[in-house]
Amino acid sequence: MIAQNLMLVLVLLPFVGALAAVTQPRGAQRGPAWISGATMAAGLVILAALRGPAGATWPLRASLHWAPSAGLDLAFRLDGFAWLFAALILGIGILVVLYARYYLAPTDSAPRFHALLLAFCGSMLGLVLSANVIILVVFWEMTSLLSFLLIGFRSANVGAREGARMSLIVTAGGGLCLLVAMLILGRITGSYDLDHILAAGAVIRAHPLYPPLLVLFLLGAFTKSAQMPFHFWLPGAMAAPTPVSAYLHSATMVKAGVFLLIRFSPALGGTDAWFWMVTGTGMLTMTLGAVIALFRHDLKGLLAYSTVSHLGLITALAGLGSETAILAAIFHIVNHAVFKASLFMAAGIIDHETGTRDMRRLSGLIHFMPVTGALAIVASAAMAGVPLLNGFISKEMFFAAAADWHNGTWLDNALPLIATVGAAFSVAYSARFIATVFFGPPATDLPHLPHEPVRWMRRPVEALVFICLAIGIAPDAVLGPTLNAAARGVLGPLIPHVSISPWHGLNLPLMMSVIALLAGAAIYFPFARRISEGPEGPPLLWRVRAVRLFEIGLLAVTWKWPRVLHRAAGTDRLQPQILVLVCLALLAGLGVTFGRLSPIGQRAMLAPDLAFVLMWIAGGAAAVGAAALAKYHRFAALMLLGVAGAVTCLTFAWASAPDLAVTQLLVEVVTTVLLLLGLRWLPKRNAEIPGDRLFPARLRRARDLVIAIIAGAATTMAALAVMTRPPGPSIGNWFLRNAHSEAGGLNAVNVILVDFRAFDTFGEITVLGVVGLTVFALLRRFRPADESAGRPAQQTGKAGEIDDLPMLVPSITIRWMFPVLIVFSAWLFMRGHDLPGGGFSAGVTLAIALLAQYLGADTRWIEARITVLPIRWIGVGLLIAGLTGMSAAAFGYPFLSAQARYVELPGIGAVPASTAMAFDLGVYALVVGATVLMLIAIAHQSLRSARQRERAAEEEGEAA
Amino acid sequence: MIPGADHLIIAPILIPFLAGALMLLYDERRRRMKLGVALVAAGLMLLAGIALLRRANGGGFAGGSDVGYYLLGNWAVPWGIVLVLDRLSALMVVLNGLLALPVLVYAGAGWHRQGQHFMSLMMFLFMGLNGAFLTGDLFSLFVFFEVLLAASYGLLLHGGGQFRVRAGLHYVAINLAGSVLFLIGVALIYGATGTLSMAHLSQLMVTLDGSHRPLVHAGAALMGLAFLVKAGIWPLSFWLPSAYMASPAPVAAMFAIMTKVGVYILLRLSFLVFGASAGASTGFGGVALAAGGMATMIYGTLGILGSQGLGRMAAHVVLVSSGTLLAVTGIALNAGDGVTMLSGALYYLVSSTLAAGMLFLLFEPMSRDEGGIAAMLALTADAWGLEPGETEEDADPAPGLQLNIPGLMTALSVAYAVAVLALAGLPPLSGFVGKFVILMGGIGDAATGGTVIWAFAAILIVAGFATLIGLMRIGIQTFWANDGEPPPVSVLEAGPVIALSAMLVLLTVQAEDVLRYTRATAETLEMPTLYVEGVLAAPPVAGSGEADP
Repeated sequence: MIAQNLMLVLVLLPFVGALAAVTQPRGAQRGPAWISGATMAAGLVILAALRGPAGATWPLRASLHWAPSAGLDLAFRLDGFAWLFAALILGIGILVVLYARYYLAPTDSAPRFHALLLAFCGSMLGLVLSANVIILVVFWEMTSLLSFLLIGFRSANVGAREGARMSLIVTAGGGLCLLVAMLILGRITGSYDLDHILAAGAVIRAHPLYPPLLVLFLLGAFTKSAQMPFHFWLPGAMAAPTPVSAYLHSATMVKAGVFLLIRFSPALGGTDAWFWMVTGTGMLTMTLGAVIALFRHDLKGLLAYSTVSHLGLITALAGLGSETAILAAIFHIVNHAVFKASLFMAAGIIDHETGTRDMRRLSGLIHFMPVTGALAIVASAAMAGVPLLNGFISKEMFFAAAADWHNGTWLDNALPLIATVGAAFSVAYSARFIATVFFGPPATDLPHLPHEPVRWMRRPVEALVFICLAIGIAPDAVLGPTLNAAARGVLGPLIPHVSISPWHGLNLPLMMSVIALLAGAAIYFPFARRISEGPEGPPLLWRVRAVRLFEIGLLAVTWKWPRVLHRAAGTDRLQPQILVLVCLALLAGLGVTFGRLSPIGQRAMLAPDLAFVLMWIAGGAAAVGAAALAKYHRFAALMLLGVAGAVTCLTFAWASAPDLAVTQLLVEVVTTVLLLLGLRWLPKRNAEIPGDRLFPARLRRARDLVIAIIAGAATTMAALAVMTRPPGPSIGNWFLRNAHSEAGGLNAVNVILVDFRAFDTFGEITVLGVVGLTVFALLRRFRPADESAGRPAQQTGKAGEIDDLPMLVPSITIRWMFPVLIVFSAWLFMRGHDLPGGGFSAGVTLAIALLAQYLGADTRWIEARITVLPIRWIGVGLLIAGLTGMSAAAFGYPFLSAQARYVELPGIGAVPASTAMAFDLGVYALVVGATVLMLIAIAHQSLRSARQRERAAEEEGEAA
Repeated sequence: MIPGADHLIIAPILIPFLAGALMLLYDERRRRMKLGVALVAAGLMLLAGIALLRRANGGGFAGGSDVGYYLLGNWAVPWGIVLVLDRLSALMVVLNGLLALPVLVYAGAGWHRQGQHFMSLMMFLFMGLNGAFLTGDLFSLFVFFEVLLAASYGLLLHGGGQFRVRAGLHYVAINLAGSVLFLIGVALIYGATGTLSMAHLSQLMVTLDGSHRPLVHAGAALMGLAFLVKAGIWPLSFWLPSAYMASPAPVAAMFAIMTKVGVYILLRLSFLVFGASAGASTGFGGVALAAGGMATMIYGTLGILGSQGLGRMAAHVVLVSSGTLLAVTGIALNAGDGVTMLSGALYYLVSSTLAAGMLFLLFEPMSRDEGGIAAMLALTADAWGLEPGETEEDADPAPGLQLNIPGLMTALSVAYAVAVLALAGLPPLSGFVGKFVILMGGIGDAATGGTVIWAFAAILIVAGFATLIGLMRIGIQTFWANDGEPPPVSVLEAGPVIALSAMLVLLTVQAEDVLRYTRATAETLEMPTLYVEGVLAAPPVAGSGEADP
């Protein structure tokens, strides 16, 4: 139990440390570094403790609940392989923290740096310890994201931003592929548990989804481990601060990909497809990476490509998959991490002390910094595979594995040759590094005069180089048990123990090593000058920069093409949008009914009545006319619309719907008048729009006409289809039967509105109120065009003089009508429950009364006499309706439950009194308020114009 | 006997209604009072929502049921209108509240000063949203759609300006056209079945005869188009980017949930009316939803990549999330069994709505260098020739609230990162959990398999990746490539953004609880009988002396 908890602590500790570091004060340098170092040290202690007691019982498992129902649990497992990786992450981490303590400039935010570094460390630990493959992907993506932030740490630098962006795009994209691969694995094996999946190798490899699974999986691993053709992000990531490069891009993050390959090789490997793809890619990357590295002038660029090359080597080993190959791969992961981290740190020191990383400018540094120089030389010798250093031994094992027989294909047969060539170039670039930087005449034109760095900055390099030597001389004593445990973790507990020795006798691998060393020297030294005078990259190949290709491709795929396609697939104009909507509606409506629905049902039709038909022909003609004239003759169109409305109203009356007829009539009056008032502020448009008579416009109109005819016909058919079918049982019939008996009203329409479905009315009055507010807000900011801002012709006489009393007779008539209309409105309201009328029509009537006043007289004259505060009316109306509805709650009834009875009023008799009536009163107030609000908004437009005219006149007067 | 009606169910509708109406009685200049009232109302609305959610999740309604009913006017279904509260509607109501509160606080930083009756309109918007989530009646749904649309018209045009009016009028026109289709659809369904109740309609679907069924289908198709316009499906989504970009930031943030209304109602009605128990109509529209949803995802992805500014990009992010939900709905409807996918989709809905809302709130402070609110105010005032007296009516700068705290911009950058991760569906945040569960349900279960699911999975992954690329581009420009002094950010703007990102983190940490809830929701969606029988059997409050005659 203690061991399990310790393991959880191990993973969570860095995140806690990150939180602690980020809360350090801005500008703190020492505190965050201490937190960071202490966290990692604690992690190492835990790791050591876990090794002792748990070694026998590996894999050790523990989990935290997150979302178990989705199969997402923070489940971790520790075996020899994961332990080794964790040790690497924490061990190199501590050295990097120490190094960074002296590397970071005072202007860099140390709290942020260490928090990110710790979070990254935690994610990496989570990744290697995950027992759930989805959680593995979670940590995988987290390392991508954190590496993005770490590479872009010095965000003011363009290179840092670009490098960060590219690395995130490549690695996060690969991570998404990996996620799909894991989902497929889950589908095949029925579990996301790592052990379960690893045990189901045979099933996975035989499954039809194995090929796509493998491709997606490898995309994930290759992008992370910078395998060709995804290698280019790694050199770009060198814009990161050197501690980040040393940590992420040599020792940890880039190793995640090969970690995954090795981890899953027992389950996914062993097939031809695996061999070709993994070993092939690995060998290609190793060779090309080494070749390119030789031609880089930038110190970190050389190291980056060298990393690419070594990762290729490890990938190739994972592709071979034999026991020796896996052991060699694990061993090389460790060795590479150790020597490459020390080299990056050395490169950082050189950069830090000389101010440049360009190898063409650096020379003879051994004179200025002998200790650092010696350390770097040893480390690069390890990189080249010189005997008695760690790199030599794992490279020997690689040669041995390459020389073994695997499947006899040409790639298998060519492996020793390719390996030797790659190793030769590796020797060559190591030689270049040592020879140009440290030997030769002392450089004179460096930005700073170089000298040894502070002691503590060099300590991590010393430690790493010491490890290089220790492993190189006594590999079995230093790493033997650990490596064997790691190999057992990957391949199972039954594999034989392998002892590692620095000397295997005179054999083929040794011969290959010797050839590589000699060939490497032969490649570099004769061409040393030409290389450093040449372009940044190998001959011929340097023009083909993967990074450029990627950028061009990325720009096309993520910017140019989407813009073109997006523009082609969309529009910003309104007309096409409406067109699409209408066409889709037609398509949908006709699509689901075509051939299944006859437009004429079984119900007998009424005989046509001549008067009705004529009325409809007139109404239809008016509607068509309105549409036709709307473009150039708004006024005429509005009049025709009024005709169509009147016909609708008559139709309701004809079909025995007096309520609807009354409402329609009143609404028709109000809307027409409001629209007319609005027309006054629109500029006249009599001139024809240019091009309106040209062929394209005519064609467009013809198309629209056809669509309109089809849509109209389809709507008619739909209506016909509904009306000619016998009505089944319907809630409408129930309303008619029960309006009086259940709700106490004779007028079923009004009862529906204020009782049965009062909630709809409640919603609709809110809509009306909101629309009133919106129109008011819009018109308040509306400023008419200049041409319509002046006085209308009706207000000026023939000679242009102002008529003081326009419309004298109508205005007096209107004034007299005011009380009559108020009474009429009250009457409509009171009779509503039993006879046609009701709050809505009554409200509209009162609004018409007010509207008429505004038409008949000067706005100022009216407002001096009656003050209507329409927004109050709206608010009060809504509140009355709402509170009436809520009053039912007092009796335990739901909202809007009506209470109705007849009340005996003295002198009037029995009057229906119901809470529905109070509700109706709310409707009444709201309708008045909303309508008058729109009216006032328009009326005040003339006030504003009038004010402006007066002001202009005053100014003119003053000027005169 | 059941003691009275369960008034809590209607509270999410009435609270904002009363607050909105009440504020109309007071003068426009009393903005701080109105802000206070609005905040209290939104808080109460959220509390009511949470209480309802807990009851829906724990059998807290009459008879130990998970579903609550509220018969308006005390008329039984199908004659009266019913509000139905089940897990799905409770989730949406809570989501509305969770978004509303930060948005109102944010608006308090100055947006509500730009035009008339901002807070009242916001309240009516909330009322419309909650009503649409709660109602169990087709026509009442139409009414609440109109409420929320009318309020959104007003809010979108809030503050005026040429671009805004142009985009706003497009929005009004296209939505009015959609409303017409909605009405025709409802009329056809009523004509064919004689009912407006969703539950009753669901029950009638099995026994519908051959001559009426096509009418219901046609009605549902037209109505569906209206919902799809709202949800922003391609090719009915072109109004959306300009409208969202043109609207004031807090309104745009609320719009993040408005597309989800369309999605919600499609989810609700599809499974209710065309689910497994719909006889010959089972699965109607599933193919169209799946295809349209995927097309929308593609279109949104192209838009994200091709956008220059954050506003347009965020609008397309909304399209992608909407498309994802529609596609999942369609696929699940077709497969007949997609509980896991649906549960992931509902989780994703919550996550993407909050994250998209947050992005719209971030948009303005992040682009403040290029002008921002002050410049825009000046511009509109200039362009519209406002008389000084008309905008200076609110000269109190709310002292103490505009306080600038250093580091707020850093907090905003962290919040932005949270939003990006949640929207792109990258680990470890909620967006990943949602997408993972959707994919797990799609790929993992053999039932929903087939080529469609592979196409969908590919689009979903690519869309998330594109979101990452696009938003990262903007983030790098804003937070990294900006060497000048960071622009001032007020606490009232940063606070809501931070609160929303905290919600996303909480959603991630509490993933198990939320997923269990959404799974139960998805299960009830796929088996609508509980809903239908419950609604039809919901008893009116028994009569007493005071009852109807």
